[in-house]
Amino acid sequence: MLAVTFETVRQLVASGIVNGSAYGLLGVAFALILGVTGRFHYAFGVLYTLSAYFAFTLFDRVGWPILISIVIGVLITVVMGVGIEAFIYRPLAARAGNNSLLAIFVASLGLGVAGGNLIQIFWGAQTHSLLGVTIKPIGILGANVINVDVYAVLAAVLLVGTLTALLRFTGLGRSIKATRSNPDMALLVGVDPARIYLVVFAIASLFAGIAAVFAALKYSVDPTMGFRPVVLAFVVAFLGGTSNSPVRVYLCGVVIGLIETISSIWLSVRWNQLVVFVILVIYLASFSFNRSLFARIRQVVARPA
Amino acid sequence: MEVAANYIDQILIFSIFALSLNLLLGYAGQVSVAHASFGAIGGYGAGYLSITHGWNLFLGAIVGAVVAGIIGAIVALPALRLSVEYLILLTLGVSSVLLGLFTTFPQLGGTYGLIGIPPASLFGYDLLKTSDWLIPLAVILVVIYGICHRLGETAYGRVLKGIRDDPEATQSLGKNVVWFKVAIFGITCAMAGLAGALLAGFNSLATPSQFSFDVSLSIFAMVIFGGTGNLAGSILGAATVILTKPLLEWAVSLAPEIASLWRLTLYGLLLVVLMRLRPQGLVPEGARLLQPATWRAGSTTEQPSEALPQHLAEEAQDWKTSAGSSGAIVAAREADWIDQPVVLEVNGLSKAFGSIVAAEDLSMVLRKGTITALVGPNGAGKTTVFNLLTGFIKPDSGSVKLNGVELIGTTPNRVANAGMVRSWQDVRVIPRLSSVQNVMLGVQEQDGERLAGLFGNPGAVRQREREVHDEAMEWLRFVGMDAFARESAGALSFGQSKLVALARVLATNADVLLLDEPASGIDRQWVDAMLGLIEKVREQGRTVCIVEHNLMVVDRLADHTYFMELGRITDQGTFTELTSSPRLAKAYFGTA
Repeated sequence: MLAVTFETVRQLVASGIVNGSAYGLLGVAFALILGVTGRFHYAFGVLYTLSAYFAFTLFDRVGWPILISIVIGVLITVVMGVGIEAFIYRPLAARAGNNSLLAIFVASLGLGVAGGNLIQIFWGAQTHSLLGVTIKPIGILGANVINVDVYAVLAAVLLVGTLTALLRFTGLGRSIKATRSNPDMALLVGVDPARIYLVVFAIASLFAGIAAVFAALKYSVDPTMGFRPVVLAFVVAFLGGTSNSPVRVYLCGVVIGLIETISSIWLSVRWNQLVVFVILVIYLASFSFNRSLFARIRQVVARPA
Repeated sequence: MEVAANYIDQILIFSIFALSLNLLLGYAGQVSVAHASFGAIGGYGAGYLSITHGWNLFLGAIVGAVVAGIIGAIVALPALRLSVEYLILLTLGVSSVLLGLFTTFPQLGGTYGLIGIPPASLFGYDLLKTSDWLIPLAVILVVIYGICHRLGETAYGRVLKGIRDDPEATQSLGKNVVWFKVAIFGITCAMAGLAGALLAGFNSLATPSQFSFDVSLSIFAMVIFGGTGNLAGSILGAATVILTKPLLEWAVSLAPEIASLWRLTLYGLLLVVLMRLRPQGLVPEGARLLQPATWRAGSTTEQPSEALPQHLAEEAQDWKTSAGSSGAIVAAREADWIDQPVVLEVNGLSKAFGSIVAAEDLSMVLRKGTITALVGPNGAGKTTVFNLLTGFIKPDSGSVKLNGVELIGTTPNRVANAGMVRSWQDVRVIPRLSSVQNVMLGVQEQDGERLAGLFGNPGAVRQREREVHDEAMEWLRFVGMDAFARESAGALSFGQSKLVALARVLATNADVLLLDEPASGIDRQWVDAMLGLIEKVREQGRTVCIVEHNLMVVDRLADHTYFMELGRITDQGTFTELTSSPRLAKAYFGTA
């Protein structure tokens, strides 16, 4: 174990931060949706993958410049995300009432399954490369990363920072937070939750789309590219807390990324993929036992005797 | 022929997956997206034993099922108190961990899985062709269906549905919710393990992709298609999902690889459409495949009216005419109160949540055959007292003794078993059970709620079930709701559901009844009926404690009254004494 050199650790930390930053960005997006709208948006993963495919098609097949392809690709994803909320989730929620969480999860599951297979029907199961950005190695504090990694982390920090500022300093942000804590009360003070939900889906889809494009530039575009990062995003969102500050959720993502890479010092590659889920299960178990306490406090305080 | 048999075999195997998941999801209300990975435990287990130790596949399947069941029960422990979104995430995590483990071990073939599992044999015959599997699989499916039906549609299933719709209310009736959840997780995961072993044996291989997360989702989809809470629907759902592929290959003549992509696409889209148009699934809960949909409606020829039941209306009338003399009766009762034996003794009960004091040094007694009222302003902590007494909140200190037995530290269901049952301010009837089933849920000591009895002694279970039904009808008649016995409780008006909830509490046969605002939120006519019933309960010698805001109600019912302010009992006595106290009268009763 002592044979682990400083170099290796430095390298693992760097790639942990890079991976974790992506998980964090996705986690922030998923937490925003779950926290504000209460929808378990499983189709999030398909939107992520689609964004990469749109950018790839526009660049590689249509022949547009890379930057424009990416922007248009991400924008289509945003429109789709908003469309799913407006035309599928909202009518379902109106109909299902109290059971809407499960009904929406099932519909979202359906969208995810259908979307994933449609991608394979249209684009095939093979892997594509999204070129267009020349990959250059960059050394930062002795660790070797590539230029795309640096852009990805900067973009993530910028987006999460902007969202945090938006929530804290603008009227829209206050409306989002009001809707998050109580949609009915928000409606009473003149905030339209339906509109806020659309905004939230737009922001989250934007984040997912941008994260996907960076993943596509670094690795490749394939039909299952969305599964693992998005499942990790679910984990990050729950560990970070769906009603906490985006900064905290993002940092939680970075920590998960670090745990994942650094555990490879002791564990084989296969095992370290499990580490995160083992942590999740332990966390949920402890949460389950503590929660009973919190639930009771809330019940007692909220219910007038 | 062999092609058709292949699909039928698959439907039979996946029906077992779907039936068991339906029991978990549709009956017990526990969401799991890890069902196929529990199948993997069975599949890999049976396959490994078969390849390396030459075990018969069916023997290995039993071992696999037991292991899957044990792991399922362990997973249930963190899942016990989680809400739906956390359960989805937890089972997703469990699915990833299990599949990750299976691909990690080189002994299990890594990412390729176990290939070349020897053919299974049964009574000396090797199951070589797909058609050989038809009869054994059909027999196993029938057995599994029988078990699921027994668990889902008898007394046991009634408790499961109660847990699904309102775990706290179910626990307050003396049901051990924790044990039921762990047991049902274990049982359904064991069934999944069995199905997984059969699938592995049938395909002669156990691979990660055979039990992947996508497979879990398709099992989930089968249950949703068929209709949650309806077992026959799950078989229909399994057939629908599996037959889409050959149907596409045959009807649209698609190539097999493309057909399987379209199959998944179609069922995905179908899920979306189904949620929009028919969320209850093809066969809704309670409906039967072979009987016309109007069957249920036809049996109750006369639709019961919303009006107050006849005999209650008459009693209410009686009371109004004799109301003038009630003052004297009440006074006489109050004199008796002190002579009655103490049933419940509460001493020094305290509870603080951080800096909020919910209860401070509460001491009170309930006496046999009397009605005690707990009054006080909003936020005084009256409902908290009920929560503390019944174990829903653990006090920081103090003691609660029921007939001399200490109740602090036990669970809410044990408190109910010991003979003290509460009702809820917001009623909390189980909406998707009928009125009579709601009341049956209250009856204690049911053989059909124990696994051993359910499968070991069917005769006794049937006998007891009849008794329980008669008892429940008896109580429904008592509260005047027998005409509504078969109505689902969710369709009742608020006043009606309060009466059903009262019948449910009475059916527990508990000595001590804690009634949380029994007369609130219902109109005057119903209030009279309700109060008449509570008086009758007192006549039966039961001990009643009510929390109430309506002073008329307290005046009429209470033999003794405690007054609460900010978590403290500040005064007690007869209601007349309290209202004549100048301080309380000025501050609260407005009758200076």
